This record gives sequence, C-alpha cells and structure tokens, in this order.
Amino acid sequence: MKKLKFFVSLLFLFGLLAGCVSQNSATSNKSANNGQASETKNDANGKLKIAVVPKLVGIPYFNAAEKGALQAGKDLGVDVIYTGPTEADAAQQVKIIEDLISQKVDVIAVAPNDPASLTPVLKKAKEQGIKVIDWDTPADQSIVELSIHQIDDEIYGRHIAKTLIEKIGTDKGEIAILTGGLSAANLNAWIDAAKKELEENYPGIKLVTDKIATDEKQQVAYQKTLDLIKSYPNLKGIMAFSTPAPLGAAQAIQEKGLQNKITVVGTALPKDSKPFLEDQSLDVAILWEPNKLGYLTVALAKDLVEGKKPQDGQNIDNVGKIEVKEDGKTVIMGPPTDFTAENAGNYDF
Amino acid sequence: MKIALSKENILGLIALALFVVMTIIAPGFLSAENINNMMFQLPEFGLLALGMMVVIITGGIDLSITYTAALSGVSIAMMQSHGYPMMISILVGILIGLACGFMNGFIVTRIGVSPILVTLGTMILFEGVILSITKGNSISGFSDWYNLIGNGYYLGLIPLSMIIFIFFAVVTSVLLGKTYWGRCVYMIGSNSVASLFSGINTSRVILKVYLYASFLAAISAIIMTSRYNTAKVDLGSSYLLQSVAAAVLGGTEIQGGYGKVVGTVYAVMIFQILSNGLNLLEVPRTIVNVIMGAILIAVLVINFAKTKLGNKDRMQVTS
Repeated sequence: MKKLKFFVSLLFLFGLLAGCVSQNSATSNKSANNGQASETKNDANGKLKIAVVPKLVGIPYFNAAEKGALQAGKDLGVDVIYTGPTEADAAQQVKIIEDLISQKVDVIAVAPNDPASLTPVLKKAKEQGIKVIDWDTPADQSIVELSIHQIDDEIYGRHIAKTLIEKIGTDKGEIAILTGGLSAANLNAWIDAAKKELEENYPGIKLVTDKIATDEKQQVAYQKTLDLIKSYPNLKGIMAFSTPAPLGAAQAIQEKGLQNKITVVGTALPKDSKPFLEDQSLDVAILWEPNKLGYLTVALAKDLVEGKKPQDGQNIDNVGKIEVKEDGKTVIMGPPTDFTAENAGNYDF
Repeated sequence: MKIALSKENILGLIALALFVVMTIIAPGFLSAENINNMMFQLPEFGLLALGMMVVIITGGIDLSITYTAALSGVSIAMMQSHGYPMMISILVGILIGLACGFMNGFIVTRIGVSPILVTLGTMILFEGVILSITKGNSISGFSDWYNLIGNGYYLGLIPLSMIIFIFFAVVTSVLLGKTYWGRCVYMIGSNSVASLFSGINTSRVILKVYLYASFLAAISAIIMTSRYNTAKVDLGSSYLLQSVAAAVLGGTEIQGGYGKVVGTVYAVMIFQILSNGLNLLEVPRTIVNVIMGAILIAVLVINFAKTKLGNKDRMQVTS
C-alpha cells in the first residue's frame, strides 16, 4: 500500500514536470536588459572590472600570470579580479564564472580546463553583455571575441627543434621525443612543427621511436628517459614537451652523469629547471613568460571594452609587439623565451 | 519554556544568518540572477552529499561516489553521441551507476572488507575504466532536450534540477524515516552486531544503501553532464571530500547511527551561500577554502562539546 502511494505520487510528480520546462526563466529577459544597461556600468570607483580566470590557482605558472595581470590592472587603472578553481576541475571553473556573471564584471578572460564544458556558461555571460575572451588555452571559438595565445605553435615547435640541433652541435645522430600526453592538442601541434623542422632542414637526424607519453609527471619522464638511455646507447638528444617532462629527463641524465653526451631541451619553467640548467643536464628550457601573458590579457581586455581591436604588430607596453592572425581575433604574444643557466635566476616562476 | 535546539535547527539558523549577512555585505547577492545561479549550482552537489550521508549513517563511506557519477555520465555521453535516444541513454547511465553501487555493496557485505578500503579500490578502478574508455578526453554531443535537464527552468521560475533535488531530498527523508529499510539503516549504524542478532538481514540492507547512493550519484551525473555539456573523467571530482564534509557538517555521525536529510540540506546550503557570497566579495579561492575548513571544524567542535555536556547532564541526573 505504501509502495503504491509512493508510486502514484512519483507518477504525479513526473506528470507535473512534463508540463513546461524552458530554457529561459521568466526573469531572464529582464535581467538580460539589466546586463545590457550595465555593459558600461562600472564599479563604485568608476573602473572597469576585468575577471581573469586561470585553469587553477596555486601553481607557479598561474601565480606568475596573476602577478602580470594584477600589475596590468594597476598600470592601466582597471579592476582585475584573478580567481580560479583550486583544482583543475571543470565543474568548479563553471561555478566561478557563474559567480563572476552575478558580479557584473565587464570582461571575463578564461583559460578553460575543458573548453566544451564552458560553452553554456560563456554563452550566458555573453547574453548578459559581458565580453568573453580566452587566454592560455582556446575556448569555443564561436563565442570568444579574442583568443590570446602565448605562442605561435609552428614557430615554437621549430624553435625547440632548432635549439636542440644547435646544442648537440652536429646535424647527424639519434634523438627522442618525450611528451606529456598523447592526446594533448597543444603539445601535439608543437611536436608536429618540431618534426617538420627536422625533416626539412636536418635530414641526418633520426628519431629513434615515436613520441613517448610521460603522463604529465616528472617521475614517469625520469623512468622513460632511463629506459631510452639503455635501449639507445647512441642517443644524442631529447626534446621534452610539457613542463614536468624536461625535469624528469634532466634528472635521469644528471643521475647517469651523461651531461656531455646527451642534450636535453624542453618546455619548462626557469625556477624549476635552474638546478638542472646549472650542471648542464638540461641544456635549455624554452617557454614564454606567463606574467607577460597575464599582462597582455588584461591590456587587450581593456582595449576590447573601449572598442579597440588589436592590430598586427601593435606594441603593448611591458609585453612587446604582438601578432594578430587574419581572423582578427587570434592574438599571438610573441616569440618564445630561452631560459639558460645564465638567466634562469632572474625569473620567479 | 525552553525551545529544543537540535543540531539541525542550529544549522538552519546558521544558514539563515549567513544568508542575511551575505545579503547585506555582498553586492548583488540577492539579485534574481544570483539566486537562480545558486539554485543551479546546488543540486548536483546536494545529491552527492545525500548519497554520501546515507552511506555514512551505516558507518561506512563511499569514496567512489564521484567516479560512479563520472562513469554513468560518461556512458550517457557516449550513448548520446552515438545517436541513441535520450531516455535509453539515461536509463543505461543509471544502470551502470547502480552496477557500480552493487559492486561496492557486494564486496562490503559478502566479502566483508571495510567500506573505506573497498570504495578506495573501486574509486581507482572506475577512474581507470573511464580513462581507458575516454583516453582522458571529454565527450560531448548531447541533444537540446538533454541540456534542458541541467539548464532549464520549470514553469519559467525554478530550475528543473532544483526540483529534482527537492524531490530526491524528500524521497530520501521518507525512505530513511518512514520505512522498514530506513529504520534498519539507523540501527545497523548504531550497532550492526545487535541488529544482526535482532533478525535484520544486515547485508541486504547495506547492499541497498550502496545501491541507493550510486543511484543518487547517477542522477547527479545526469544534471552535471547536462549542465556542463560534457562528460569527463574528473567530472565533479572536487565534490568527493566536500560531500563527506557536508554530511558531517549536517550532523551525521561519522561512526554511523545518526543523520538527517534536513541537516545535510542545510549544510549544502551553507557551503553554497559561503562559496557564492565569498566569490561575490572577491575573496581569493584559497582563502575561501580556509574559511570553509574553519567553519567545518568549528561546527564539529560545537557539536562534540554539546553531546559531551549533554551526556554529563544525563549522568548527573541519573546519579
């Protein structure tokens, strides 16, 4: 009997639910209007509010970006809110963006953990009259008005390959490639460019195996490098992509004392790689400067609200000349920076 | 006359007080958008916390709950992106969730391994299964109807997901409070040996507990995948320990035997109000975590002190 009652009420409820479900709330039209009205409405002291959302907070890379973004806020007289999830979890990031929409910021610049999961919330932001841009990692390109890339994938990959050959000192020999994950789109773009550079200009260089995944972990990169050294005694160089991979490779080289025999070049942060750079187990770390990326994001966000589109070759104070692709919204910060034993100490990220 | 202040009532007052404080100090907290915003954010977490609470009442814990949710979310996403109709994929998603729960329940009851070890194992197992299916990529491609579950409004007023949450909160409360199974759940939590000797089929009751928790996880997964338009291995992974925290903050005894739906709902609301309000106040996320942790510890200490004092009073009366 009880079960029956329960069942009936359940049916009743679903009947009710089937009634009317719609995408928009009755209040949303009104609030959209509010959003339009507040497009140029700023906070109490009349400053623009620019929200910069990283993939997560509390790691050196994004801390450096935060410093740059806040500095830009000070220099340019805008309010910068730098907030992100404490874990690289898409759900947390969506919540933070929803709260930022409630805060009525003028711009949201986001580095998505999972681009697809942000599409609904970014659409919502746009409907409320908030400008949406992405930085560091591309979001859904049909929504964002600007897409700020740290680097041109092609140039970056080629530069890494060229640097490796330079450091090896000869254009004949065997090399290997370590990567973070086999499906990471940005890493694959870099690796493809690096391979192209090798094929076109250095036919004497032989790749001993396909790229090797290291799961974004230093420990795994270390293990795989030890395996590589054992399997290929003539190995001359290693290209390591993703920030932990070069460190793991260098650690293995350091332990085996092969600094003079095997050259390692990779994408690592200067502070982490300094000890390895100093004893030459890691020859060069190549990356961009995340603080400049944060600075650039805020600067371009401000221009966007003021109706100024970025121009190819435009000079941004404290960042340098930027490149803009033909579509008018893909911005490239500039050439990569080489970190070596000499200059690694000057950076705090 | 003295009004009895139960744990739950105190929590309710704290939630109310927080709401009032945030209304005063956080700009835009009370705006229609923000209230809607919070109502959209709460259900997915609330459902997981309810599931966790039911397990904790029996003295167990379900560490695999978020990966159960992720696994059923991923299967729904896979089915839909391969063109299966929405209802069938949802059904399969729920069944897969239930299978995860059955696995937990079976190992806990029939083999007798302690819940924390079993679910730690299945957590890693489910994560591995999802990773090998998805290769770490996210899966999207839902129908528009499906997206309404997490993003739509019922009658243009209340988020549909909120109604689903309220429905399951009521169901859970009825199941725990009014049914034979519910009574057994509390009894097993207080003393499983005594319950066994009183003729309760403890293993069947506990099996059902894990099934129910995984069912709620699957419902939560439907809301999450619909809301975020994607399913991925770490879908809602940050809710795992938060759901334990919410259940415990809601007055549930971690050793089992006590816990009320209303307490957990209040706790979830407190987390929601704090998280949203502090975001509006532009408090850095790291500090938000510090504040949440501090509140959790404070409430637990108060509850502990209260029970201790209560026991002392009772002792004095009897002596």
